[in-house]
Amino acid sequence: MKGFAPLFRKEMREQFKLYRLVIVCAIFLFFALSAPLTLKYLPDILKMAGEQNMIIQLPTPTAFMALSEFAGNIGQIGALIAVLMAMGGIANELKSGTAVMTLSKPVSRSAFVISKLLAVSITFLISMTAASLVCLGYTVWLIQGTAVWPFVGLNLLTGLFLIFCLAVTLLFSSLYKSSLAAGGLAIGVIIVQGIISAIPVIGKYMPGVLLSWGINLMSGPGADYWWALGITIAAIVACVYFAQQFLKNRDL
Amino acid sequence: MTAISAKGLSKYYDTVKAVDNLNLEVPENTVFGFLGPNGAGKTTTVKLFTGFAHPTAGEAWVAGEKVGDGNLALKAKIGLLPDVPAFYDWMSGRDFLHFVGELHGLTPTENNKRTEELLELVELKKHGNRRAGGYSRGMRQRLGIAQALMNRPQVLFLDEPTSALDPLGHRDVLNLILRLRENTTIFMSSHNLSDIERVCDMVGIVNKGKLITVSTVDALQKKYARSIFEMEFLEDAGQFVESLKKISWLAEPAIVSNNGTPVLRVRAIDIERARKELPRLIGESGLTLARYEMMLPSIEDIFAEIITNGEKK
Repeated sequence: MKGFAPLFRKEMREQFKLYRLVIVCAIFLFFALSAPLTLKYLPDILKMAGEQNMIIQLPTPTAFMALSEFAGNIGQIGALIAVLMAMGGIANELKSGTAVMTLSKPVSRSAFVISKLLAVSITFLISMTAASLVCLGYTVWLIQGTAVWPFVGLNLLTGLFLIFCLAVTLLFSSLYKSSLAAGGLAIGVIIVQGIISAIPVIGKYMPGVLLSWGINLMSGPGADYWWALGITIAAIVACVYFAQQFLKNRDL
Repeated sequence: MTAISAKGLSKYYDTVKAVDNLNLEVPENTVFGFLGPNGAGKTTTVKLFTGFAHPTAGEAWVAGEKVGDGNLALKAKIGLLPDVPAFYDWMSGRDFLHFVGELHGLTPTENNKRTEELLELVELKKHGNRRAGGYSRGMRQRLGIAQALMNRPQVLFLDEPTSALDPLGHRDVLNLILRLRENTTIFMSSHNLSDIERVCDMVGIVNKGKLITVSTVDALQKKYARSIFEMEFLEDAGQFVESLKKISWLAEPAIVSNNGTPVLRVRAIDIERARKELPRLIGESGLTLARYEMMLPSIEDIFAEIITNGEKK
C-alpha cells in the first residue's frame, strides 16, 4: 500500500475540485426532500388537478412510506450515479496517460485502486448522510416521527450496496481504456444481480437484497440477509484485488 | 558501472516483434540516444525498462534493480518522461510537483524546496500556479521533465522529449538535457537525428525491433566516414588535381564550388593510405593550404545508411 496517503489526499481533492461531492450531494438531497414532500402534498395536488366529483383514495402518508421511498430512490438512482462516477476512475487515467505518470513513482497498484474506491465511497457516504438527515428531519416535520435506528440500518445497507456498485465499476474500469465499456459492463452486472435477487433460492445471496433487508428493518420484523451482507463485502474486496491484479498484469 | 542493461529482452505482440532480442549495456552518466524510425520499438523499449510492459522474453536491470512489475525500489531510482506527458488538469504545475514529491516520500520541507528548484530549472516558476490543463505543449513537456527529476533519479528515461515542440521549446528541452547530463544517466529515445547528435554520448540505432548498432557518436562517425577529403588552397590547384589523377589509391579528384569558393574534392580508395600520404603530397605541391578536412558524415547520413543497408562490418 505504498503511496496510499498522498494518492488518497489527491483523490479527495479531486472530489471537491471537480464538484463531484457537490453534484452527488445535490442529487441525493433532491430525493431527500422530494420523497416526504410528494407524499404529504400528493393528495392536495391531485385534488387541485382533478375534477370536483373525482375521488382518489390515497393511504395516509406515514414516515415509513417517505423514508422507504427515499431509500428506494437512492438505491436505484444512486447505483446509476455510482457507475457514472466510477466508470472513468481508472479507464480515463489509463487513456489519458496520468496512470503512467503516477505509477512511474514508487506507489503500489493496490494503493492506486483503493484510494480511488475509498475517496468515491466517502463522497457517497457524506452525500447519503446529509440526505438521510435532511429526509428524516423533513419527514418528522411534515408527516410524523419515526424510530431512528432502523433508518440508520437502512442507510448503512444501501450505502454498502452502492459501494459494491462502485467497486464493480472500478474493476471494469481497470480492464478497459474506454469508460463507456466499463460503465456498460458494470450496469450489466448490477442488473443481472438484481434479476437474480428476485429468484427465491439464490436471490438471498445477492447484494441487491440488502435494499430489501433495509426496508424490512423499517417495517418491522422480516427476513434478514447476513449471507448477502458477507458476500457483498467479499465481492468488494475481490473487485479491489482483481482490479489491482489487472493493472499489474497489463501493459500500460 | 552499468546503469542500464538488457539481456535477450523481447516483446512480441502476436506476430509483431516490437522489441527483438535486445542486448544492451549503458554505462553510468551517459546520455544514450535510442534512435529509430517511427514504429521501430523505441517506446516499447522504454516501457520495458520502466516496468510498464511485460517482456515476452529476456531480462533487464536499471540502476542495479531488476526490472519487473511491482519493484518499487526501481521506481524510486528512475524518472520517466512518457512520449505524451499527462497531468491532472485541475492541478497547477506547482501542485503536481508537490503531489509527485509526496509520492516519492519527501518531507514537506524537502518537497517545497525541490518543487521550487525544479520550477526554476524548467523555467516554469512564474506559471507554477496556473492549471496544468492550460499549459502549452512545450510547458507540459518541461513540467514532464521536472516531475521526472523530483527524486534526483539515477536513470532518467525520456521518450521522444522534443516531439511536437516548437523551435524555442525544442531548444529549451535540449539545453535542459545538456544541463542534466552531469549527474544522471539519460536514456533518450528519438527519431530526431540532430537532437541525438547534439546531446548524446552514445547512440543505439534500432529498426523493426532489432538493435542494429551501438556506439559512441564519434566512433560511428569514424566508422561510417565517407572517404571524401576536401581541401582549399590560396592558389589555383588545377595542376595538383592532374597529379592526383595519376595516383591509384585516389579517385575522382575535381575542383568543385562551395558557396563560390573553389574546393578540391577527392575520394580515397584506400582511406588509411590517403590519411597518411595526402598531407605529404599537398606539402610537395607547393600550394598554400587554407583548409584540409576529411568529411565526417552526419548522424543523419549514418542512420540512412544503416536503415537502408544494415550495419557496416
